[in-house]
Amino acid sequence: MIVTVPEKWDLEYDVVVVGWGAAGTAAAVTAHDQGAKVVILEKMPDGGGNTRICGGNIIIPKGKEFIEYLDTLSFKTTEREIIETFVEYALKNGDWIREMGADVQVFRPLEVAYPTMIAGAGFPHVRGAETAVKYNIKGTPEEGKPSQRLWKFLSGLVTKRGIQVLTRTPARELIPNAQGEVIGVTAEKEGKAISIKARQAVILTCGGYENDPRMKWDYMPVKPLLFLGTPGNTGDGIRMAQKVGGDLWHMTRLSCLIGFKSPEFEAAFWVSFLSEGFIFADKYGQRFVNEAGIEIHEYYQELSHFDTEKMEFPRVPLWAIFDEQTRRRGALSRGTAGYNRDLYSWSLDNSAEITKGWILQGKTIAELASRISVEPKALEETISRYNRNCRAGRDEDFGRAKEDLRPLEPPLYAIQLWPALINTQGGPRRDKESRVLDPEGKPIPRLYAAGELGSIWGYLYQGACNIGEGLVFGRIAGKNAAAESPWS
Amino acid sequence: MKSSPIGTVLAEKNFIVDAPPERVWRLIGKVIFSSLPGLENMEILDENTFRALLRAPILGFHVTLKLKGEMVDMEPPNSFSVKLFLEGLGGLFKANQKVTFIMTLMEKGKTSVSCKATVENLAFLPRLFLLGQARRFARSTFGAIEKRLKELA
Repeated sequence: MIVTVPEKWDLEYDVVVVGWGAAGTAAAVTAHDQGAKVVILEKMPDGGGNTRICGGNIIIPKGKEFIEYLDTLSFKTTEREIIETFVEYALKNGDWIREMGADVQVFRPLEVAYPTMIAGAGFPHVRGAETAVKYNIKGTPEEGKPSQRLWKFLSGLVTKRGIQVLTRTPARELIPNAQGEVIGVTAEKEGKAISIKARQAVILTCGGYENDPRMKWDYMPVKPLLFLGTPGNTGDGIRMAQKVGGDLWHMTRLSCLIGFKSPEFEAAFWVSFLSEGFIFADKYGQRFVNEAGIEIHEYYQELSHFDTEKMEFPRVPLWAIFDEQTRRRGALSRGTAGYNRDLYSWSLDNSAEITKGWILQGKTIAELASRISVEPKALEETISRYNRNCRAGRDEDFGRAKEDLRPLEPPLYAIQLWPALINTQGGPRRDKESRVLDPEGKPIPRLYAAGELGSIWGYLYQGACNIGEGLVFGRIAGKNAAAESPWS
Repeated sequence: MKSSPIGTVLAEKNFIVDAPPERVWRLIGKVIFSSLPGLENMEILDENTFRALLRAPILGFHVTLKLKGEMVDMEPPNSFSVKLFLEGLGGLFKANQKVTFIMTLMEKGKTSVSCKATVENLAFLPRLFLLGQARRFARSTFGAIEKRLKELA
């Protein structure tokens, strides 16, 4: 490793936080409240990252049995002591929020959409699942969606304390000294490189790599994979940590929904259905899954099937085929979450998207099939068989529950959908103290990470745990960073 | 115009479903919405609040009503209410409704479901012309919910 310590620093702080979302806020506020002089570097024009555009829920478990639940979900990819630390702090997430001046309310969703936004555990059959409870920042719809209320609260904590935030200032490199301690950051401000001294520590909280095509192609289990979240997450923190010797973990893990992509928009639109009149078909017009039974964050599990004969992912993209009642029931992209939420208002009856050609229609199955380049006979057989299953009240092929079955009658509609990330989970490996580790498991001095950058979610993901984790390990990183002795 | 007394009962229905309350709770949201085929342009504003259009038969015509609903008093899996505000006919028709569902565990894992719809502060003319329609609509919706829940249990 070549070490180049600047002779003169452009800016000096005690703690430098890279990235301004939930984890960055928790880290910066905690370090500040312990007396550290803190700066936040944010590459985008505004803070918030995925925090501002996610579902906005925060996990606050109601018992230590949540450890068993998360331990099972982790599939031994995360050390138990890290999960124990997470749960210990997550139990206090509500107290922390109240101490910081807001309050929380239990998330009790209208369970009417497909996929269903579940109030509690995504995997209710797993031991300890009953302790999973999601909350959001207390407020009304008029005060914004849960993630908007969350970000208003979090960003307010930073503003209120006068913590300096440098927006449009991407961090480029960590600066180590000859002893391997991270003592600063090189960032870019208005096209010029600036060096920022971190007297105590640097905390990386700059998200994952959902908008880095090469990393996604290397690591993700299904390809291609679109993104629903912030375009700002391009794996910067991963590269920076690697360059100072950081190990990586959980790089193949993700929170994956389904989305529609229009070339006019940088990110994809998250798509869900407000009525049971829909199926998914692969490129060949075949159903392949219980469409109503997929855990909302785990679509990739179903879409990553690779056909070694055809040398392709036959379910990528997939076609969602839906009926008139579903078309009229409500917008396919409802603005619950995603980067496009504030950029486009999807029509409530989907008519504008039909006009745009985003949704295709057919008066008959054959006409729809020809419009989506699927063999008409194959699609007719698929729908005919599905309708027979619906009328029998039993999906013999994929076990879709009878309450989720309704025959599809023309006119029918189709929309092309892709696996689409809200966020990746991988990044620098860390310990329960939020310290970034090298490949031998030794902490890299004065370097911490929190949030979705190297999150602790190593296999299955429980909803609301990314924000919960950002708040927990952000607080831990902030506390430990502020406790470091200054290096000079 | 004089208003009707607060809490005029539109319809009540009690029936038994051959499933425990937890199963009924999981089904009932989707069943309510699928039992209202004229429910369109639905917007979920927050986890418990929605807005939609409802095409309902009134005086022999299909009229589009604006609907805002809020789930309140949720006590899973035992009870919840939906507060509904309906508006239509160019503002001539406005009504606040409350629909309450109570699920009670019976013997052998069955559930007694009790549904009750009330309307509040309905003005005189709408009450005169539309109360009967609203009662029929509430009764037929409860009937559809009962039929669907029994099918699915």
